This record gives sequence, structure tokens and C-alpha cells, in this order.
Amino acid sequence: MRRNQPLFVQGADLHKNTFRMSEAAEQGKDLCIHTGVVLRNANTKEEEVQSLGTLNIVEYSFGKCIEWKPVEDSVVSENPDQDSEWSLVDTHVRRARTSSEGPDSLGRTRTVRISFSDLNSLRINHGGQQLIFMQKDGTTYVAFFQLSNFESFLNSLKGFINFVKSRTNRNTFIVVDEVQSVLSKSFAELDIFQENTSDYVWKFVRNLHNRPYETTLEAFSKLADICLYKDPVKSSEEASEFLTHDVPALPASVSSGDEYEVIGDHEFDVLPPRPHCPRGMPLSQEQWNKFKDSEGRILNPQEVKDIIFHGGIIPSLRFEVWKFLLNYYPWNSTHIERLELKKRKTDEYFAMKLQWRSMTLVQENNFSDYRDRKNLIEKDVNRTDRTHPYYSGDNNPHLAQLSDILMTYVMYNFDLGYVQGMSDLLSPILCLMESEVDAFWCFVGFMEKVSPNFEVDQAGMKTQLCQLYTLLSTTDPQLAYYLNNHDSGNMFFCFRWLLVLFKREFSAVDIMKLWEVLWTDLPCKNFHLLICAAILNTERNVLMENHYGLTEILKHINDLSNHIDLSSTLSKAEGIYCQLISAEDQLPDNIRVIIGLEIQNNVLPIIDIENDIEASDHNAEADESDINAEKNSSTESILEFDTVTFDVKRFK
Amino acid sequence: MSNRDSDNLISTNDETFDYLFKIVLIGDCGTGKTCVVQRFRSGTFIERHGNTIGVDFSMKTVLIDDKKVKLQIWDTAGQERFRTITQSYYRSANGVVVGISTFLSLQHWVEEVRRYTSSHVLLILVGNKCDLESLREVEKGEAEALCQYLPEVLQVVETSAKENTNIDSVFFYLASELKRRHENRQINANGDEVVRLGASRKLSSCSSCSYKIF
Repeated sequence: MRRNQPLFVQGADLHKNTFRMSEAAEQGKDLCIHTGVVLRNANTKEEEVQSLGTLNIVEYSFGKCIEWKPVEDSVVSENPDQDSEWSLVDTHVRRARTSSEGPDSLGRTRTVRISFSDLNSLRINHGGQQLIFMQKDGTTYVAFFQLSNFESFLNSLKGFINFVKSRTNRNTFIVVDEVQSVLSKSFAELDIFQENTSDYVWKFVRNLHNRPYETTLEAFSKLADICLYKDPVKSSEEASEFLTHDVPALPASVSSGDEYEVIGDHEFDVLPPRPHCPRGMPLSQEQWNKFKDSEGRILNPQEVKDIIFHGGIIPSLRFEVWKFLLNYYPWNSTHIERLELKKRKTDEYFAMKLQWRSMTLVQENNFSDYRDRKNLIEKDVNRTDRTHPYYSGDNNPHLAQLSDILMTYVMYNFDLGYVQGMSDLLSPILCLMESEVDAFWCFVGFMEKVSPNFEVDQAGMKTQLCQLYTLLSTTDPQLAYYLNNHDSGNMFFCFRWLLVLFKREFSAVDIMKLWEVLWTDLPCKNFHLLICAAILNTERNVLMENHYGLTEILKHINDLSNHIDLSSTLSKAEGIYCQLISAEDQLPDNIRVIIGLEIQNNVLPIIDIENDIEASDHNAEADESDINAEKNSSTESILEFDTVTFDVKRFK
Repeated sequence: MSNRDSDNLISTNDETFDYLFKIVLIGDCGTGKTCVVQRFRSGTFIERHGNTIGVDFSMKTVLIDDKKVKLQIWDTAGQERFRTITQSYYRSANGVVVGISTFLSLQHWVEEVRRYTSSHVLLILVGNKCDLESLREVEKGEAEALCQYLPEVLQVVETSAKENTNIDSVFFYLASELKRRHENRQINANGDEVVRLGASRKLSSCSSCSYKIF
């Protein structure tokens, strides 16, 4: 049986972060708990599958720690309605029974603890999905947030640790010391709010801006709850401290990974009004002919794409133009070159097809990975678009073609293989091309664009879901806030939209129009996320006015299938793009990254002019040497921080 | 119940019910999870239903001992790759229906349930497509024998969504067990029975123990 729970503390670090006996015996006090986090030691291999757990802030007699526990430990605490004694019995049974697991997977030994006093710096990576903890001895842990992003955790941490943003890397925060403030500590300990507390404070401040009346009442009702139901002496102290505290003077909140945001400095909270962007006419045969030179080269592909982005392609021309859009034919190839290319690609296709066709039964029996892919293709082909006339009826020959192309793709890209959803992406292409070879190569081009959706670790999907939430926080902060408050901030309800690029949401005719628009890569990177934002904008009132929760949101979004108007959605998505672009100067970097704009640190303009060149070298992917360099310069950065703060104040 | 009620959330929202349970369907690709739900929910059979991407959601209210028991049914995608997404849906499940195709995957899925759901969850193993006898992979007796070692498994049921065999009974049985145990637990919570760790009591003698074998 596959081992589901590999050891994640490896090698030399093992002794350090598992416990000494005396420490292990102490029952720490959980100050805050974040679920859905995978933790891995930076030294372990990327491919290794990690188990899910909770990332907590825990207080012990020897100090506070960040602690990660695998999910088994938290099963008990996840069921508040359970009688605690029963939970213990059940947990006991559960552990004793799972004899197939090694000792490493049993509870405490797998917990990782990072003491606040050992923490040197934090770094945000992968658009906010990863938070990297650097300890003073150089040990590095990567926390991968599956259910939310790092933001809420970092905001909680802010209640306990003072950290400053690194001068040289805007995604890195250097720990200065522990927070001594009674206020932030006691807020976290008070357990007034269901969500973590500093998060709540920041949501409160943001919301106060948007919905002052409701927000104030809500906050007062929560304070009232606490005065009525909790220890009265303690809570009234907290409340008065909270009320007398000067709100704008609180430490700045972190917005989605890239910068400190000073409250009151929220210019792009409201984007400019959305312009109306009418759809255009589809690319016509006449226009297309004009773009070709005498030998068949397409003279101005950018202009062609522009027409397609605004209006699509007339149906009779799709068959030809898609081959260019999907990078099967180069735009600057001549008629003759394309004929030669097609001949070459035909040979190549049949050579690959022969590879699996000629596999013997014995070979197949000895090749389980291949067999798994083959079985799954067989199952899925038989249920792909069977209501479409092209694939309907028993023994439909097109099903065999669908299957042959997918099998050949397995040989073309065995590692990716076949993943559910791929047959959905191929079906309209084959239906249009009516040629196995052309459909295959167009499918290859399509997969080039969307292969991250099908990766084993689903990182591509998680990144997009996270980016969609980030985007929504800017384009529709109220809706983003609503979703987050209704257990839907992870945007899982948009999973199907993204995985098969809306294939299940639109009719066969509309999906072709939508895909050709997306294949132009105009007007910006990740335009499909803007389409998601546009659909959600159309549905926002239904979701919020009906007070939909997690299940209702999911059901409502699922049920939108075949009820979304394509043309108005595309118009709206383009409108949202125009809104973002007209506020370009004020867009935070995390939004800039999503829509493919150059990164510019626009919060601390004075210091960053000199650092811009260096910073742009830094902001790609995290590599460990980078972090080490950061560590060495951290003392210097702290010293400089005072000056920076001063400069900013003067600047304003 | 009109079709509209089961399909449209807005109308079911106002509907009163006595119990609400969350049931999640998991299991290998192509075991017929979606067809099982479809048959239960609307009494129809669609053979060439597309594969499930992410999760589908539906509801149905059944009447048990004159009580309205509302079932939230979550139908998940089978492929292993999507499990990090689907796991988030079965975390708070009250009941799980596992569609099985092989012995190996049976163990795998039970393990999955243990890892990600609460300890009170009830499990029913479903061998669907029992109309296709010639393609049988798992003998019912063997599955039952294995399940003696899997105490949270309530029952092994052979079904056919195509021929409407045992589909309703799977959900009715699960619903009535959930209801019964919920009531038992409430009685216990009222304080007449307290069990302490360390007290030498056999687990199987506790009336509200979720692992009791029937």
C-alpha cells in the first residue's frame, strides 16, 4: 500500500524540531489555529506528497511557538459539538486501529515546532500560497496553504511578533521581536471572534469604509456578547482598551502578500466606474484573406487576434484559424511550408500511435501506469459529450478517434498522462477538425496553455483559485469579504470553471467562441480569471441577498451551467480589465502579477526607486540562497527601517 | 416532493425539516456515483452522464418515523489527483457512501475516510452495477468478510442504478441510522450516561459508540 504520510522532518533537522521529552509533555495553549496547511522542510524533495495539517500559534511556559500538527491530531478539535470524553475514546480507537501506518504517523512525533525566538524571517511565495519560515540556524520550512492563503495566518502572527518588510525583497519580512502589547495578545486569547482576531479587526476597518452602519452594529453586538457571557472584569478592560485605542495608529495590515498597507491609504478600494465594452464582429473570410500575403503568410497576427478577441471567428473559418491560435501552424509560415509541416506532423502522430497500438498484452500487464491511464480514458470517452450529435449513438466512430488521440497524447506526454477533464477539452476540437491528426496537434497546443490545471499536486489550480480571490478583493471587495465569511474564500466553487475552461458552463457553440477569445491571450494575462470575476459580479446580489452559505453558493454556481450569457460576460470581463488598467498606478503588486503588468512597489516610493532593479531580480521564485543572503543583511535592514518610516510620513 | 423542490435551493430553503445530514459520495472513477445520486434524487437513469468535475451537490428530504430528514448529497470526482479539493468536502460529512470497484481501492478509501472525516461518520460500501454480473470484480461475501475488520462500515450493499436495485434503501438506511444515533447521543448528552477514560468498560457496550457492530 502506498504510504500516504511520508516523514516530513528529514535529516539533520530531525532532532531539533521534534521535542525534547520535557517539552513534549507540556500541554500548550492554542492561541490561534489555521486549518488546511501542508508543511514541508525546504530540504525535502518537491515531489514528496505531504499530509494536511493545522498551523497554530501555541503558548508554552518556555515561550510561544508556531506549531504545525498533522490533521489526525486536530480531528477532535474540529468537532466542537462532540462530547469531549467521547472524542477521546474515538481518537484512541482510531489510532490503535490504523496499524498499517508507521510510528512516524502517530501523533506527536510528527508535529513541528518553530519557536518565536528561533524565527528569523518570513517570506511569501507563489502568489501567497506559500509562507516560508526561516529559522536563525538556517532551517527552512515551507507552509503551503491549501484552504486559504497565508494572509489570515500572517495577520494573526502580527499580533505576536513584530516584523518589518525587507528592503531588498518585498515578499520577505524580518522578525524584530515579540509583540509585548497586551491588547493584541489578549484579543487573540479572548476568543471573541470565530475567525482569528487581528483578521477581524482589519476586516472591521475595511468594512467600516464600505458599510459603516452594519459594521459598527455588528462589532458592538460582538463586544456586547463578550461583556454578557465572558468574565466581566477582564472583558470590560479589553473593551475599553479597544475603544480608546487610536485605530489608525495600529500596525499596518498585510494585503495579499506584497506590501504593507497603511490604513486610510486605500485609494484603489474603489475602482473607477466600469466602462461599457461592446463586442465586435467576428473575423470574416474577407478580412482573413486580406491578412494573407501571396504565399499564405499571415501578415499581422496581432491585428487578427485583436479582431478575434473582440468578436470571435465566423464558424466556417474556425477550422483554419484555430490551427494558428493553437500554435500548430506558425503565423509566418507559407502555404507550402504548412503542407510540409502537416506531412511531418502526420508521420510523427502515427509513429506515436503505433507505440501504444503495438503494445502486447504482457507488456500492458506489466505496465500499471499505462494501464491506469488506458482504463480511465476508456471510461471517460464513453461519457464525453454523448448528447452532442457528433458523439451520440452506439458504436459512434468518433469515440474511437477521441480515445486514440488521448491514448497517443499519453505517449506524447506520459508524465501528465490522462487526467479527467482532458476529454472535455479535446471533444470540441475533434468535432471541428474532423481529422485525427489535426485535432491531436491542436489539442497539444491547447494543453500547452492549460497543462498546469492537470498537474499531480494541483498547484496550478490552487494558484488560480488563490489569484481569483485576490483579484476579487480588488474588483469587488464586498463580495470577496462575503465569500470569505461564508467559508468560500478558497473559491473551490469555481474549480470546474477553471479546470476545463468553462467547458461545462456553456453550450457547444458558445464554448468555441469563448475558447478562441481566450487563445488570443488578449488583453492581458489570466483573462479567464477576469471572466470568472465577471460571472461572479453578475451573481453577486443573488449570493449576498439570499445570504447563501457554503453549500448554497456551490449549488448556485454549479447550477449556472448553460445559463450564462456569453456575450455580456465577455463585455463585462473586458470592462473589468479597463477598470484595472485605468487605476494601474495604484494597483498593488499581487494584482499586477496576475494580469501580467510589470511589478512596481508603489507603497514606499522613496526608498524603492534605488532598489527597483535589484528587487525585480529578486521577485521571481524563492531560492534558498536568496533567503540566506536576506538573513545576513537583516540587521542592516532593521536599522534602516526607522528612517524609512520617517521618510514615508514626511512624504505624505 | 416536486422536482422543483429537489432542484431549486430557494424553494427548499423555506422547507422545514427535523434533521439535516451531510452525505458524501466518494470512490473510484466510473463506479457510478453520479448515477446512484441521480437515481435516488429524481428516479431516472442517465447512462452517459459526463464525469464529475470537482463536486456536484443535491438535496433530498426523506420521511423516517414521521420525521423529515433532509439529506445534503455531495457527489465528488473520483480521480486521485483531485483529492486535495474533494477532501475539503468530506471533512464535515455525517455519512459516506463509497463506490468500490476493487479490494485494493476499498481499503484505500476507508483509510481516506478515517483520515479526513469526524469519528462519528457512518459508512456504507456500495458495489454498483450489479446488473453487470459478468464483469464482477468483488464478491459480496469477500467484501463483507473484509469489513468485519472495518468497524465503521455499516453495511455492504450491491446496487444497480440502471435497474433501480437497492438505491433508495442505501440512503434510507443511512438516514435512519444517522437519525437514530443522533437521538441516542442527545439522550446521553442529557447526562444519564457518562463514560470516563480509564474506566474498564468495553467500547461495544456503549450505546452511542459509533463503532458498534450491528
